[in-house]
Amino acid sequence: MSSRLERQYAVEQFYFNEARLLDGRQYRQWLSLVCETISYVMPARVNALVDNRQRGEESMIAIENELEDGNSMGCPIREESYAHLFVRVDRAYKINSWADNPPARTRRIIGNIEVLKDTDKSLSVSSNFHLFFARPGSDNFIYSGQRNDQLLVVNDGFKIAAREVIMDYANIDVPTLGLIF
Amino acid sequence: MKISDLVSDDAAYVSRKAWTDQRVYELEKKGIFAKAWLFLGHESQIKKPGDFVQAYMCETPIILARGEDNKIYANINSCSHRGLPVCRADHGNTKRFLCPYHNWSYKVDGSLVAIPQEKMLKTKPDKSLLGLKSVPRVESWRGMIFGCFDESVEPLESYLGDMRFYLDAFFERFNSGIEFIGAPHRWTINANWKLPMENQLGDVNHGPFLHSAVIPAEANEEIFAVGLSAVPKPGHGATFRLMPEGTPDAQIAWGMEGMGAILGGPEIEEYLFEIQAKSAERVGDIRSRMKGLTYGVYPNLSFLWSNTSFKVSHPRGPNKVEYWSWGVVPADAPDAIKKVLRTNYSSFFGPGGILEQEDSEAWMQQYIGSNIDFADDKPYFYGLGLGEEKAHSELPGMVSVTANEYYARAFFTRWRTALEAVADPSELIACSN
Repeated sequence: MSSRLERQYAVEQFYFNEARLLDGRQYRQWLSLVCETISYVMPARVNALVDNRQRGEESMIAIENELEDGNSMGCPIREESYAHLFVRVDRAYKINSWADNPPARTRRIIGNIEVLKDTDKSLSVSSNFHLFFARPGSDNFIYSGQRNDQLLVVNDGFKIAAREVIMDYANIDVPTLGLIF
Repeated sequence: MKISDLVSDDAAYVSRKAWTDQRVYELEKKGIFAKAWLFLGHESQIKKPGDFVQAYMCETPIILARGEDNKIYANINSCSHRGLPVCRADHGNTKRFLCPYHNWSYKVDGSLVAIPQEKMLKTKPDKSLLGLKSVPRVESWRGMIFGCFDESVEPLESYLGDMRFYLDAFFERFNSGIEFIGAPHRWTINANWKLPMENQLGDVNHGPFLHSAVIPAEANEEIFAVGLSAVPKPGHGATFRLMPEGTPDAQIAWGMEGMGAILGGPEIEEYLFEIQAKSAERVGDIRSRMKGLTYGVYPNLSFLWSNTSFKVSHPRGPNKVEYWSWGVVPADAPDAIKKVLRTNYSSFFGPGGILEQEDSEAWMQQYIGSNIDFADDKPYFYGLGLGEEKAHSELPGMVSVTANEYYARAFFTRWRTALEAVADPSELIACSN
């Protein structure tokens, strides 16, 4: 097993490369970073009722209270498989994907990359992002959120086995949450 | 331009100003949102006493709740003392709503129970007069709860009229009805509220074009071949494919066209086929052959059949809409099946949907186009198929091919009448040419 520093460096390089591919609209190359069994989930975020019995506790204002995630019986914003991501990538190169013709300009900063768990075969990694989004004929927008990934260790690096994207919206006032984050 | 000029008499032309003008928007509030039945929520969201969800009637925030007496209440979410919202959560279960400012507290039915300040005063206010302002008419049909600010409005069932025939083709397919799953996805779009509504009311015609990057050509060929647009009552509409007799269940079954079912495997197929197999018995032959597309209920409720979702287009001024959508599943489905079927909605629709990102962009661009100067003498053409709609021997309402824009002409005729009823006839809308 490589040292923690080397591992941290390798994970950071993986994410920086991923960000460059996505902002460079090289989505097919991005798709090669993804396991075919990927689970890609964006929980919905609600304004939860505070539970009086939890007063004084961290659990009272825990972020989990606000999420309708894949395990809940709520309705996540996105619950996707490789097939969904394939359709999204495929769509990007069609002239009649009108919301992206001309395509939006994006620039994302990936930070706070933290390896939370590391076995030889897989890693749990949390990272934050800010993404600037400029759609021609519309406005500029900022997306902010967190990614909780399961990365699979492969010969030449990593593959994304699962990604949960926690968006920081209160109201969704962006043109789409259908980007690849 | 007069109010009556916003829509031509045959409704083949609709003014750009109908989409952008502030005065028109004020008349819409007065003539439509103050008078029509507006969708508030579904009974599956408030099953137990104390359960509540937030809702809106146009821009007015509403708390929809089940009271201690098990009855359904709708009240305006604004304290009788200083007007703050007394409910700040999207949904939940509670005994009291508490205003944060001075802690006036209310039961979930809206009645005022405590004014903490009154113990220091000699004269006690009459609390029975100080409850939350209630929505005067609340009625449900098939679990769908509507409210109306006009006490004298016709009963909900007659308001829906023959739209119930088409809605029942869906609702009555299921043994135990349907369930709204999770909180609504609330999405603010820089568009006028009427366009998302029009989009589901009958406009399947944009599908093969705006969505051609994703919708396969065969799906559109089926719509060309057997697609129908029905207007059971002006302002309501249903589009569907009426599959020929003898079509195998697999080609009709509700839910099979969604991503959840496509990727879901044999367990999901079996579940959906079983619903279809019982459908003729439940909804009759003709409705068992209906493979729905999109529906609309006047003024701002929409329904998607395959990507099963209810949606409400809440106006936020002429230039903004807060678009709410819920995934909908059969109420008695096992949890594992509900989880798959909810992705029939979220894969393609809602703020992260693969298809709806195209729609929301079109709606935003339509607002920009409507708001330009020097084109007010060029109203939008709504005349496709003018006069070609007809009564049908087996289906209620006026029926046509889907390319006929009668659904929109009927909506805008009703819309114009509603505005004329509350406008000063001499009132003018300012135009740039």
